[in-house]
Amino acid sequence: MTERKSPTAVLREGPRALTDEQVREIEESGLKGVLHVDIDDVIEYVHRDLKSLPDFTTLYRKYLKQRWDVYDLDFSQDRTDWAEKMTEEERQSFIAVASGFHHGERQVEIELPVFMIGAGEEEKLHIAAQIEDEARHTVFFDRFYREVVGLQGDDIMDILDASFPWVSETFVGPFGLLAYQADELRRDPCNERARVRYGTNYFLWIEGVLALSVMKVTLSYARWRGFLPAYYTGFTATCRDESRHVQGGMRYLQDAVRKEPSMINEIHDTLRTILSLSGVVSRRVYYEPLGWTDAEVRVLFFQQLRRKLNDVGIDLPPDLEELLQKVEPVLAGG
Amino acid sequence: MSTVPEAVTEPGFFSPGWAGAVRNALAAGPAEQARAGKLQKYWDFFDGVKAAYPASWALGCRDLPGGPGAPDRPDAPDRPDAPDGPGAPGGRGGPAYLFVQWGGGTVTDCRIVAQDGPPDATYTLAMDYAGWKALHEGYDAQRTVMYRTILLEDGDLLEFFKGIYFFVECLTLIGAVPAGYPEPAVR
Repeated sequence: MTERKSPTAVLREGPRALTDEQVREIEESGLKGVLHVDIDDVIEYVHRDLKSLPDFTTLYRKYLKQRWDVYDLDFSQDRTDWAEKMTEEERQSFIAVASGFHHGERQVEIELPVFMIGAGEEEKLHIAAQIEDEARHTVFFDRFYREVVGLQGDDIMDILDASFPWVSETFVGPFGLLAYQADELRRDPCNERARVRYGTNYFLWIEGVLALSVMKVTLSYARWRGFLPAYYTGFTATCRDESRHVQGGMRYLQDAVRKEPSMINEIHDTLRTILSLSGVVSRRVYYEPLGWTDAEVRVLFFQQLRRKLNDVGIDLPPDLEELLQKVEPVLAGG
Repeated sequence: MSTVPEAVTEPGFFSPGWAGAVRNALAAGPAEQARAGKLQKYWDFFDGVKAAYPASWALGCRDLPGGPGAPDRPDAPDRPDAPDGPGAPGGRGGPAYLFVQWGGGTVTDCRIVAQDGPPDATYTLAMDYAGWKALHEGYDAQRTVMYRTILLEDGDLLEFFKGIYFFVECLTLIGAVPAGYPEPAVR
């Protein structure tokens, strides 16, 4: 965490090329080493394999090498930074953005098991690993809110309840839809069309677009200011985990469309609902204390979406292109 | 002239009187105080959905105490029309539905329907009595959806979610309607 470049510098730099050494550093760093990895490199790493997506066994093997122990993180310096170095405006902006992730991680953890029922055997290994990742990310945020922010509670749900006032009313759009899509799969777990609709919301939208945007905002702030080292370490490791989830999810969608081309309609219909909900915000989030403007967050958000669609080869019909122009990012993820 | 107000009796939960009060609350929409807590842009979206919403909801309570279909409720078929409705205390509970039809920017029909299965509606949703009671006691509607306390049991999921902010705000309004919530029988 020695580099102090502007949080939004990467928006002007555009896509970067990773050297083999940088890729090795991202893939092989232990938890302590992750502190020194640039978040922009990790986000680039997410996209690196999208054009030639790895198979599920490869992703599972990566998981075995990259999993980390959430209880190894020491939040004592973060607590000092939070209480003594960050301004009240920075704290309020940070928590307004991070709370979407606190709840998002819990949601993607509990809604994923049902998707595994209809998956192929190799994909089941990958999804089982992803469920464990999401559980670990849920504990990561639980620890951050208890040990750094200072929320109190007897259990995980107490802490979720305590941070819920910071969650936007529009959170229920993608995450309520995910809950109901999971229930649809519970009733008919091998319905391939329902699985593609679920995968579009979960892997493409929530993980591929929302999550990577919110990660970038808070992590680039922490790196820029030199604050919150345990948050930076744990959440950058989380971002590395997300690279496997996004790649696995895009692999699933790509395979589904190649096998049955009409599945593209399910992807479009799901995006039609999501984008029609995404043109509205219920509360103002002040990004400026974190080094961002609203316009820059929108640029980041669109970059994330466009890259996924282009890399995986999903074209949007004109009505979806029109809806896309009205989108206001919900900063949440999982 | 007496200044002492007359005692106001709350209608029973899932009674015809309660359905009438729900209809008024939904037609009126959120109060200014509630609107003040969220951006105008959000309410513009809400108002836009409400103005053009063509659908109907069947909102079920799966285990209404003393409700129609309850195995120990001998007069079940007639109770929805009784003054206190099916929300009377006692009984192990059976399913009942609040039917809400939207059209022209308002509620055109709102009534309790008690029959073997849910009434014909664009979207059928249901939750247990405990979920309805928690909503009435202030638990938020967003998490009532997100935590799957209330579930979509029939209807097009993607179409339903295009109006989800509208639905969640309406669920908040329904939960806030004063009503007598009976104590469920001990099993």
